[in-house]
Amino acid sequence: MGYSQLSFAQGEEEIKRKIEIKAIGGLKFDLTRIKLKPGERIKLTLTNADDMDHNLVITKPGARQEVVDASYKLGENGPKQNYIPKSDKVLWSLRIVTPGQSAYIIFQAPMKEDVYPYVCTFPGHGLVMYGAMYVTTKDLPPLEKDPNVPPANALGSGTEHDHSAKDLHPYKTTPPYMYRIFMPDAGPAAIAVSLPNQLSYCWDAGSCRLRYAWQGEFLDPKNYFDKKAEKYANIMGTVFYRDKTTFPLKFSPEKNPVVDFKGYKLIDRYPEFHYTIDGRDVYELIKPKEDGSGLIRSFKVPEATRSLFFVFNDSDGVEYTSSKGTVNGNQINLTADDAHEFVIIMTKKETAK
Amino acid sequence: MRKLGNWVILAVLMTSCGKKSEYPDAKVSYIVEAIETPPGLNAETGGIAFLPDGRLVACFLRGEVMIYNPETKAWKLFAEGLHEPLGVLPVTESEILVMQKPELTRLKDTDGDGQADVYETATDNFGMAGNYHEWTYGPVKDRDGNLFISFNTASEWGIIMDEVRGKLDTTLVPFTPKQKFAAVPYRGWVAKLTPSGEFIPYAYGFRSPSGLLITPDNELFVADNQGDWVGTSPLFKVEQNKFYGHPASMIWLPGWNKGDPSKLPVEGLNAERQRAVVQFPYGTMAASPTQPIYDVTDGAFGPFAGQILIGEMNQERIIRVMLEKVSGVWQGACIPFIDKHGLRKGNNRLAFSPDGSLYVGQVQHGYIGDTGIQRIVFTGKDPVDIHSMNITDEGFDLHFTQPMDEATLRDTSNYHFRHYYYEYHLKYGSDQFDVKKVGVKDIKVGDDGKTVKLKLENLKPGYIYELNMGEVRSEKGEVLENRLVCYTVNLLRSGRKGGKPSLAY
Repeated sequence: MGYSQLSFAQGEEEIKRKIEIKAIGGLKFDLTRIKLKPGERIKLTLTNADDMDHNLVITKPGARQEVVDASYKLGENGPKQNYIPKSDKVLWSLRIVTPGQSAYIIFQAPMKEDVYPYVCTFPGHGLVMYGAMYVTTKDLPPLEKDPNVPPANALGSGTEHDHSAKDLHPYKTTPPYMYRIFMPDAGPAAIAVSLPNQLSYCWDAGSCRLRYAWQGEFLDPKNYFDKKAEKYANIMGTVFYRDKTTFPLKFSPEKNPVVDFKGYKLIDRYPEFHYTIDGRDVYELIKPKEDGSGLIRSFKVPEATRSLFFVFNDSDGVEYTSSKGTVNGNQINLTADDAHEFVIIMTKKETAK
Repeated sequence: MRKLGNWVILAVLMTSCGKKSEYPDAKVSYIVEAIETPPGLNAETGGIAFLPDGRLVACFLRGEVMIYNPETKAWKLFAEGLHEPLGVLPVTESEILVMQKPELTRLKDTDGDGQADVYETATDNFGMAGNYHEWTYGPVKDRDGNLFISFNTASEWGIIMDEVRGKLDTTLVPFTPKQKFAAVPYRGWVAKLTPSGEFIPYAYGFRSPSGLLITPDNELFVADNQGDWVGTSPLFKVEQNKFYGHPASMIWLPGWNKGDPSKLPVEGLNAERQRAVVQFPYGTMAASPTQPIYDVTDGAFGPFAGQILIGEMNQERIIRVMLEKVSGVWQGACIPFIDKHGLRKGNNRLAFSPDGSLYVGQVQHGYIGDTGIQRIVFTGKDPVDIHSMNITDEGFDLHFTQPMDEATLRDTSNYHFRHYYYEYHLKYGSDQFDVKKVGVKDIKVGDDGKTVKLKLENLKPGYIYELNMGEVRSEKGEVLENRLVCYTVNLLRSGRKGGKPSLAY
């Protein structure tokens, strides 16, 4: 037994099989079990695709916890030993592999059929980051019933049985409610709002505008809430409106305004967004149409002293009516007076017909 | 003298606590209690703080801000729907600042129903590439009402969204070799927001500055995390316009025209870089230190008033930092403080309650850690611990919290010193270099039994001096509790800097 991968390296041509295990985010190996034949020669590569250090230690059957405990006791000698304890329970090991790096070990599988655990013994990782090396010629037990692999979702986000947003909080989520969350087809400062009547929309606090709206269920934020929050939330419905303009509200039809997000106020739990266009305050409140066929957008630009233009695009999926102003092609022209307070109703096209 | 020493401690305890211990008969100095969080809450704790009325406000990573009444143990929702909030600072009972991923937000309850109805953007004057690693931290407030916040770099393992917020500069993309990057403004920076709302990029060179502190002396300290360009996790004293070592942030210096800063000669970067006041040796002391907090309890939390405590993600541990000024510059040592005792991992956020107990909020978020909130209570029983460690001309003075057994103090075999240094370089983390045992030449025990003067074979700037204590006992026969202490020697008392390993972190 030894700690150097080199001492086991022999001619690569003798190796029957290569196996790559990746250390991935969430303190996991991507393979939680591997199967070898007794006596088989193996090249086992550990690739660190995570953003922290990991090692890999293969132990004698049933000795995983003991080896992990021994690694804790290394204390200040841990780093020097790559957190690998000197123990006859350690069969083979790969020293610390830093993020983005790989290392390998070549060894001959034991002749004795059994389950040989592998585990990362980096401090704190050993409790959840492990897998099982089966040395056997028989079939493996079903993965979900295998006691030798980490339980699914070992880090316990508590969301594995429910993909809707309903049970993710210490309260019931009843529309209207909202999340600031990474959304597809929007900037990173996105806001998703669930409305009554099976409607939802995505508003972008970076570019200060409504991006799209959908019909159906709200979001499955599980992707996002799990682990490091690196994925987009999933939309659980059909998008019926998508803003295709460069910016819908402007004081000059040719020029996009400079925008700045100021926050929002909850009115009966509906957010009324506050932002500025060219330094003038705009307030925008979005409510569902009662029949679920579209959105009612109430705007206020109290300091408007010039005419204001609301522009849209033929192919954005909705038809427009406005409480004020005049429609001129793909543009609603509002006087300064109109702009102080106006309502634009957007209705899904197929419903309107 | 010894007797007198005891009396002094007792007197200090009696006056400073000023209240009955919750655990008058405890055999231990600190007790860790669980704070029950509401059912259905995924208690990944992003921030905790106390309201002026003594209630606790906490924010959680799924966007909730909740208020806890320690007397009734009831939780109440204050705000929801925030984007990975990682810091909270109350202004009043009805106005709370929260640092969430896209912005610093001022939450206001304007109708008095106990829930925020106004979510006002205090600042979003920084970019987002949409990379998961772009967390934001703070705020802390200085004496003049300025707020300080910090911006994580982006991860090379994450993405840049098709649409970003702020100006996109891909100088560091595709960032080979792989390292943390700053494709949008002020990633890797600490920013200052003045009371009038002016946003000032304040200091740069950070990788993952997850913990900020303003001390009672109005000084800003920031902890960073080990990784590329960060040999081991540091605690910095941060000053305006200074550089703290990670180059990615440099592209957001005004007028930057030097391309990829990580390609600049490392010697030049090294010369510009500020040194940590304390380095936390990786793995043995901390893998991922979090929020530093200053012990302002004046004894209610035990004998460490005026010291800094800091959380650790990967171990069931809080670390204590013992600073001193050498030639006018802060440096010092770190030592485990609460180590296990029922404490969980993931110790992300710390806050002192008005009753002098320390609340700790835990997080994991795909890393090693845990969830929930715990409370650490000082029982009144004086711990057997190293109170402080000071550098001398020839070694270190150790000051204990109580008189120690002289025989064990005099025993050379109870002091195992080593020195080593970590290196400043692009590659993730660092090995320990020039690891050598350092012999103890002489031991002098102070008259009060609380101080020991250690003369070492050598004392060199640029090194960490790691001390592992043996079974040193107190006069009462109790064993010293925390025995690993690491002093970061930036400067010697003589002011000599020579002999520093050139790239020592």
